[in-house]
Amino acid sequence: MIFLKYDRRILQNFDWTLFALVMCICAIGIINIYSTGFSLSDDQAPLYIKQLQWIMFGLFLMVIIFLIDYHAINQAAYIIYAISIASLVFVALFGHTANGAQRWISFGFILFQPSELMKVTIIIALARYFDDHKSNEPYLLRELFVPFLMVMVPCVLILKQPDLGTALMIIIVSASIVLFIGMNWKSILIVVASVLAMLPIAWLFLKDYQKDRLLTFLSPESDPLGAGYHIIQSMIAIGSGGFLGKGFLKGSQTQLKFLPEQQTDFVFSVFAEEWGFLGGLVLMLMFLSLIIWGLKIALHSKDLLGTILAFGITALIAWQVLINMGMVLGMMPVVGIPLPFLSYGGSAIVTLLGAIGLLMNVSVRRFILQR
Amino acid sequence: MEKQCGLRNGPEPAEFRQRLKIVVILTLLALSILLIRLWYLQVIKWDELKQRSENNAVRFRKIQPLRGLIMDRNGTVVVDNRPSFDVLYMPTKGVNHELLLQRIKDLYKTKTLEFSSDQLFPKTIKPYLPVRLEKNVDMEKVALVETNALDLPGVYVEVTPVRLYLDGETIASIIGYTGEVSKEDLAKSEEDYLSGDITGKYGIEKVLDPYIRGRRGNELVEVNAFGKVIKDLGRIDPVSGSNVVLTIDARLQKAAWEALAGLAGSAIAMDPRDGSILAMVSAPSFDPNLFNSGLARDEWDKLQKNPLNPLSNRAISGQYPPGSTYKLIVAAAALEEGIITPDTKIFCNGSFELGNRSYRCWKKHGHGSVNLHRALVESCDVYFYTVGKMLGVDVIARYARLFGFGETTGIELAHERKGLVPTRDWKRARMKEPWQLGETVSVSIGQGFNLTTPLQLVQAYSALANGGTRWRPRLVQRIELSGGSIQKEYLPEKKGELKLSPQTLAVLHRALWGVVNEPGGTGAAARRPDADVCGKTGTSQVIGLPQNEKARRLKKIAAFHKDHALFVCYAPMKSPEIAIVVVAENAGGGGAVAAPIARKILNAYFEGKKQGKTTQVAVTFPPAGSTGD
Repeated sequence: MIFLKYDRRILQNFDWTLFALVMCICAIGIINIYSTGFSLSDDQAPLYIKQLQWIMFGLFLMVIIFLIDYHAINQAAYIIYAISIASLVFVALFGHTANGAQRWISFGFILFQPSELMKVTIIIALARYFDDHKSNEPYLLRELFVPFLMVMVPCVLILKQPDLGTALMIIIVSASIVLFIGMNWKSILIVVASVLAMLPIAWLFLKDYQKDRLLTFLSPESDPLGAGYHIIQSMIAIGSGGFLGKGFLKGSQTQLKFLPEQQTDFVFSVFAEEWGFLGGLVLMLMFLSLIIWGLKIALHSKDLLGTILAFGITALIAWQVLINMGMVLGMMPVVGIPLPFLSYGGSAIVTLLGAIGLLMNVSVRRFILQR
Repeated sequence: MEKQCGLRNGPEPAEFRQRLKIVVILTLLALSILLIRLWYLQVIKWDELKQRSENNAVRFRKIQPLRGLIMDRNGTVVVDNRPSFDVLYMPTKGVNHELLLQRIKDLYKTKTLEFSSDQLFPKTIKPYLPVRLEKNVDMEKVALVETNALDLPGVYVEVTPVRLYLDGETIASIIGYTGEVSKEDLAKSEEDYLSGDITGKYGIEKVLDPYIRGRRGNELVEVNAFGKVIKDLGRIDPVSGSNVVLTIDARLQKAAWEALAGLAGSAIAMDPRDGSILAMVSAPSFDPNLFNSGLARDEWDKLQKNPLNPLSNRAISGQYPPGSTYKLIVAAAALEEGIITPDTKIFCNGSFELGNRSYRCWKKHGHGSVNLHRALVESCDVYFYTVGKMLGVDVIARYARLFGFGETTGIELAHERKGLVPTRDWKRARMKEPWQLGETVSVSIGQGFNLTTPLQLVQAYSALANGGTRWRPRLVQRIELSGGSIQKEYLPEKKGELKLSPQTLAVLHRALWGVVNEPGGTGAAARRPDADVCGKTGTSQVIGLPQNEKARRLKKIAAFHKDHALFVCYAPMKSPEIAIVVVAENAGGGGAVAAPIARKILNAYFEGKKQGKTTQVAVTFPPAGSTGD
């Protein structure tokens, strides 16, 4: 057993590339949030300071998770899963409500959002499951019934809050993992067909505002006041930035507060308005490097467990980046998915950095483990 | 492990390598699409979107909802809305603000109009955040600004609803007023306020604001560089606030205001059968319409610094020694405690000796030998000095509390005071001194430490009038949605029972009738031809040292030394349906000053009833259990 035992190789092989990449993206995030809060009134605690505090806390968590061998974490996977489910149930019963959604647990001075934690927990739980049930053949549908339940239980709880974006994200990431480790072609076809058949029924369960969002995506100008307003303002902000951007703190759409949700879901519009196409390109390249690096870790992991963990975390980051940018650029419906490391939000940044800790964990232990 | 074969260790790395390649390709593809989109927006569409951003073409505007109407019990509208025209300016780059302002002033001068606002540009002008130049301008200015729009880039007229208080100051102390939401209210997160919203500041407007306010609408408009709307892009209509139906009878309210005729004080009319307030005036008052467009500083100062304090509602926050009106309570206590019978006679020679002090009766040469009935009718002080001393202050206090003194009545308004019912314990706790017997003597005739609000007085007498039930005074009958359906109904609420024996009630009842209708009664001025009024006068002395600088200044004015005149009554005697209290500050004797005012209000009430009977009384009065006649 090598859990928690100090090993010289852990430091020798520390994944500096990954660490540096994440820190760079976080730094861009802070600078960007500073800009969104620039014209806020003085009596408010500046958001960028708060975000910085969250990042510090997240780094602390990252180091801890990095030091514990991921096989030990795997032992506790179902416990972690149970705790996450319990906190979601707690939210459903006694959660803190804001903006019409019951998503938070209040610890007095801070609000914690268990659905953010769930995004990472589901990866850990699925990795455990598939590691326990290894198969050389692609999985059949009936073999996937238990993982299906593991995904649907938190999704239903999160949909109830309601938080469509996070629930979708959990489903998408889980589906990616299953597809990645291999699923029978016929089974895939059956799933796709039944999902398509279910869509009209799912539509009935959506809240009015969620329907509105999906509809307005199809034609934003038809409802410029409601959901369309976000998209139109976002596109104006981005487009007016031009090739070189308007410059730091000079984004007029941002500074005049025409851009809604600018610290959270629409944070990329702020960035693109002030830093232009060039800035956007650099940021996208950084995300691309991060994703490819994560996939490389998945590939080089010495065991299936590490591969699934690394792939799942990378998929989580990749999907969030793609969907968020697609949404902000007016190519996808507004579903409320934050941009990793850039959007303001304590629970999100802390769990993300924790996940990065896990990714480093897998990365470094390939030199220690023997296949 | 379901799989039997131990060799199965999951897919081979080669398979993973293959799949990861696909993943990388898909990711690259997706990011490229995003990058192309970014290029499209930022490079190809740059010109157009930059233009739109500079023109700030799309703008959210909130639409203020109409506040709910406030109506009296007969459906007469007391508070309505009217349009107000404000002149706004949208600062734009490249325009000299000062020059523009000068141009507006010059324009006004051509029609001999003044630029009224003292609120000029804020220190830092943010582009695209409109500045409200003038509020509530008349049509002449509106026309002037509209016709010269081309010369005044960025200047436009906005129409907003403001409150129209139809009955002005006569009902202001109940209704209150509205104004722009304060910074403190904005900080409260549970209230959905935005800066610039209109909210209730005082009275019913404030207490029921969540109902009256309505819901804000939004509008998205496309504007040109000068802030002028070119295109409506969509709107969410505001929702009007709910209407409030008061228990007040607006006609009676006006009659009460006129009856008070310039005196400082208050008058309340209440239905003793269920606690409904029919009228409640407090004078001097203020014109709530003045607050609509933000009160000018000097006007506000005038209201604030007026020593008579027009902004307070004396009916609920004015605290006075009840004077002889308090004798009712002492009489009830004495009868119930068996200290006297209705026949017990006490000789009054004009003064009452206690130790080396002599307490005077208001009648210099005394009333002679009087029983309880005559003592109340003629308001003999010596009788009550004697009885009060026998009762002791704590017993008097117990009965006073039964009548509702010493606690708030629970009316729907804020700032209600609870008066003071002195006891031995209270004095020890408050002044660190033991109670003096002489103080009991003062308390017996409603002087000394005693303090009551006019509302408490009318509530107490109403309880006697209806046979012993103390109802919570209520101002609000119901709240209706703007469509007319009932949103919330306020039912009468029992606060307590007097628990007096029927004999005691009958004796007091008869005596109060005598006060108004028997020869020598102090309340003769309230007598009506059909001899159906019961009441009690009171004259409370303004004594004691002034507490603060304001009062000390007032002391210089002789008028403030005069007594407060009080009168409480109810009618008709057989089945009382209205109870009235009148308190006139520094106006003289209760019988001489307050009783005639009460009579005027009574006359207005019965006259209105006579007229109303032919029209709609049956409809507007809800079935209240006991009907008057």
